[in-house]
Amino acid sequence: MGKLRQQVNKWMMQNLELPADVVMDLPRITMIGQLHIYIENHRGVKAFSNEQLTLKLNQGVIHIKGSEFVIKTILPEEILLEGTISSVDFENE
Amino acid sequence: MKTKWNHLKGYVRVEIIGQDSSSFINTCIQSGIGIWDIQPLDQNRALISISVSDVQKARGILKENKLKIRIKEKKGTPFLLKRMWKRNGFILGMLSFICLLFLLSNMIWNINVTGANPKTEYELRKAAVELGVTKGKFIFLLPNVREIQRDLTEKMDNVTWIGVTQRGTSYRFEVVEKEIPEAKQMTGPRHLVATKEAVIHSVFVEKGQPIVGVNDYVKKGSLLVSGLIGKEKKPQLVSAKGKIWGEVWYQTEVEVPLNTSFQTYTGKYKNRHYVSLFGLNVPVYGFSEGEFKDKTETLNESPLYLAKWKMPFSYIKKEIRETDGVKRSYSKAEAIEVGKKMAKKELSKKLPDDAKINGEKVWQQNVSNGKVKLTMLYQVIENIASAQPIPIQQGE
Repeated sequence: MGKLRQQVNKWMMQNLELPADVVMDLPRITMIGQLHIYIENHRGVKAFSNEQLTLKLNQGVIHIKGSEFVIKTILPEEILLEGTISSVDFENE
Repeated sequence: MKTKWNHLKGYVRVEIIGQDSSSFINTCIQSGIGIWDIQPLDQNRALISISVSDVQKARGILKENKLKIRIKEKKGTPFLLKRMWKRNGFILGMLSFICLLFLLSNMIWNINVTGANPKTEYELRKAAVELGVTKGKFIFLLPNVREIQRDLTEKMDNVTWIGVTQRGTSYRFEVVEKEIPEAKQMTGPRHLVATKEAVIHSVFVEKGQPIVGVNDYVKKGSLLVSGLIGKEKKPQLVSAKGKIWGEVWYQTEVEVPLNTSFQTYTGKYKNRHYVSLFGLNVPVYGFSEGEFKDKTETLNESPLYLAKWKMPFSYIKKEIRETDGVKRSYSKAEAIEVGKKMAKKELSKKLPDDAKINGEKVWQQNVSNGKVKLTMLYQVIENIASAQPIPIQQGE
């Protein structure tokens, strides 16, 4: 059932030109250089330190690495991180 | 925008001590507690911002997560105000200074009187005190300059006119005194002569030789009482004194219009009060115009001063008084009656106090252009004697 739904969603995205993050419930990530990273559609903070932020996603987690991290704003589905960002990694479960 | 709002409400920077701060963050978000500016310090510590109203809720969550909290900084308007209040003496001082300056610059500091002799000045100052114009009084509590001027002029008898000007904190009274000529005591030898053409009515001589008798006709300047008395060969000079009453005819012309319209106040009035801000009049009290058909309006403005500067706001009182257009019409007979009264009144203004009107006569009367024109003749008995000094002839 889940597989079928995913396939339908993928088809809708490709053929109906709907934004992927809305249809497939994926995170939308906006970065401004290395300074800011803005992530929508996250599912909570897993770990947070000066050099690393790990966020839970619908599927898997996202690791953001860098230095001097400060969470500027955090809302149930949005997060704005400031600092010097060096890498963004996805990890599927 | 949101941070501005948080700033206004006040927030605290707190340190969270203990493991697992991320789960705290998650719980906070889920239970709707707003936190922001999360800055990890090291493994066990993180600095976060939280609004004052949410601190109590957050404490519960912290207990569940076995975390400790330590308030580092208090920010925002409420805390700023609190800190400022600690220096309240300073602020109070500043405010009271402004208040004091404001009050002092709306106080009378000086009263100048010019043009009056010391006696009049003393009386004027006394009258001013009765009106409340003294040093140390608030200017805005006093009637305005126009009213002061009117009241003072009414109160002072020996003054023709008082000009009141207000300049900042000082009042200036300019006085024009009545010049009452001093009655000169004529002691030198003199005659009494007639001041006008008349028929002598009665003669009363204290000193001197009367020349004229009752019912004599005299011209202007003719001798009435001589200052030379005694025998013809050896005359004595005296200062003639006496009253010679003569019948004098006066002619007065008056015009009385048959129809006149004029305005009177009905006594109904409305006061409106304004506060003028930067030239804009804001009504404060009294909003109705009174719904008068005919009215006259007067504005009284009392400005406020801070030091020497006129403040952009002032208090304005507007008086609206109802007027009534009255039409008066006379019949011909009435007009003549009124004309007679008017003529008599006008005449008695011209006559000295001791004169007596003996008889009156309508000389001419005609009606034209809606007016009654009267020419009246009056028979007046008045003192016609006036002194004329006798020149002393030397070398005789």
